[in-house]
Amino acid sequence: LIAFLARRDAVVGAVLLAIGIVYGFLTASLPNRSLPNTPGPAFFPWLITGVLIVLSAVLLIRALLDADHAPRQLVVDSDSRLRAFRLGWIVVYLAALPFVGFLGASVPFFAGMMLFCGERNRTVILFTSAVIPGSLFYVFRYGFQILLPSGVW
Amino acid sequence: MSGDVLQGFMQAIQPSSLLATALGSILGITVGMIPGMTISTGIILVLPLTFVLDPGMSIALLLGLYVGGMMGGSFSAILLGIPGTPSAAATALDGHPLVARGEAGRALGIAIIASFIGGLFSFFCLFFIAPNLADLALGFRAPDLFSLVFLGLTIICSFASKSLIKGLLSAVIGLAIVSIGQDPVMGTARFTFGDANLLSGIHFLSALIGLFAIPQLIENLVVNDSGKVPTTLGVRVAGILPKLSDIRRIRIPIGIGSVIGTFLGILPGAGGPIAAFISYDYAQKASRKPEEFGKGAVEGIAAPEAANNAVTGGALVPMMTLGIPGDPVTAILIGALLVHGLAPGPLLFIERADFAYGIIFSFFFANICNIVIAFAGLRILVKLISMPRAILMPTIAVLCVVGSYALRNSLFDVYVMLSFGVLGLGMKWLDMPVVPLLLALVLGRQLEEHLRIALTASQGDVSVFFTSPFSALFLGLAAISIVWSIVNARRSRSAGTLNSKFSE
Repeated sequence: LIAFLARRDAVVGAVLLAIGIVYGFLTASLPNRSLPNTPGPAFFPWLITGVLIVLSAVLLIRALLDADHAPRQLVVDSDSRLRAFRLGWIVVYLAALPFVGFLGASVPFFAGMMLFCGERNRTVILFTSAVIPGSLFYVFRYGFQILLPSGVW
Repeated sequence: MSGDVLQGFMQAIQPSSLLATALGSILGITVGMIPGMTISTGIILVLPLTFVLDPGMSIALLLGLYVGGMMGGSFSAILLGIPGTPSAAATALDGHPLVARGEAGRALGIAIIASFIGGLFSFFCLFFIAPNLADLALGFRAPDLFSLVFLGLTIICSFASKSLIKGLLSAVIGLAIVSIGQDPVMGTARFTFGDANLLSGIHFLSALIGLFAIPQLIENLVVNDSGKVPTTLGVRVAGILPKLSDIRRIRIPIGIGSVIGTFLGILPGAGGPIAAFISYDYAQKASRKPEEFGKGAVEGIAAPEAANNAVTGGALVPMMTLGIPGDPVTAILIGALLVHGLAPGPLLFIERADFAYGIIFSFFFANICNIVIAFAGLRILVKLISMPRAILMPTIAVLCVVGSYALRNSLFDVYVMLSFGVLGLGMKWLDMPVVPLLLALVLGRQLEEHLRIALTASQGDVSVFFTSPFSALFLGLAAISIVWSIVNARRSRSAGTLNSKFSE
């Protein structure tokens, strides 16, 4: 399995083939409201299904048959972990948004991101992470009349 | 028509529009200069602002940013040897050696002049070509429009990808995403799973913010950890105004770059990097001293710089007249116009000709603002290259959230943005190009709509796509573009095999 996963093209082909099949099943359940000899709402999704399945199958077969290219190593280096951690930080921020509001979520998020970027001066972190999200919140609320999420309170 | 031209000029010359252009230009130069930041990211930063400004000001701001970004990319290419944007990669070849010889000001001055002339040349082409092309496009019927959009997609896929199959697959994923929501002809709900948010489909701009900004943000944070923060300390910028002898030397390279850049800009997908390298190559061939290229030849700065700025005007031609974006930036411009209820395409020159000319003149003023700001503020602007990323990166992240939320005042769009960010990261990891997906998101609905209208009118007869001369021409060109990219892929593959054998 690891050798298969290491062939990225094979992974792309397999995943997209599966997506194509699921998409085809969903397309089959679309209502048919077309007039005779005219394409209905499912026509274009059927085309997409066909092209998606054919292209992903070609990619998968080519990747599996391609003996010239040895499978690349799947490397989980420190950069990959950093990427995953930072993406996780963004996910936590967005998950917190509806509950604690834009300001409540953005200030700690901003401070965390500054730490990730190597900033160590606490005063700079505290000041910047309060001023920039705060300014954005008030500029959008009072300047542009766009109410950013204010949380559950 | 002359009335519309005059109204367009008056719209572009309004103080508010000029101010927006100048602001966009400053932001563009700044964003372009910072390695790792792209013009697309810069546009995403100001996107929330464009929702609240009037359309004229919005487009002036975005065009200033587009043109400024192209020029800004060359500053870091010259000063640091690191291109700020991919389009400035060719400029670094001769720009940085000049800095090493202590002639930073001379290199920057030539880049500014060449960029300005390239941009100006493409403005004139835009001014004269766009209205005529729009007139021609007005005669297109549904089969022609379908084939045209299909051609746009295939050209982009073949240019944007190392692997044609992956490029096409990326576009097909985009088309599948576009099929979510009400269908464009009958309004039937598709793949909505009963969720009201999905009825109006996935908003193109929130998808775009996620696809471009999130992966770039994550990558920039990683790069920053490795301590690769560039600095311009120690570089002295003096003698910016080019000497007459230099002007004489760069006349022909600028001409070469301007023509190639504008022409390639009109072709969807070709873009700035290709135009810059082709122009560099032709300028070297046309030079009396080709051996100086790569060692600090001023011609080697002028040709690619004229080319990458000429691309901007060229890319606006298909965007404005056919509604087909030439690159991610023009795709965002289409999105920004759509937010204001203005659909780029041939009808723009009929229904809102004054606004169409306003865009063209805003592009002209963007070039003027650019040269003025670049010459007047160069010494201050180059200091921004070492702007602290600890402030920049979190600000971009927060603005991504604000930008996607402000689209419809909905957190749903914020989560769509995040989902597309994860998709973008996944595609990057799997070596899948993102640009075809993005363009499928822009063009997908048009593709389906024209296809279905054409087939409905012909009672399901597909020969309608081959009997119409324009449609047959576009389909023929699409076939050529696909065959061309297959041949190219095979060539580069065999060259790679040969190289690896030699290296063994």
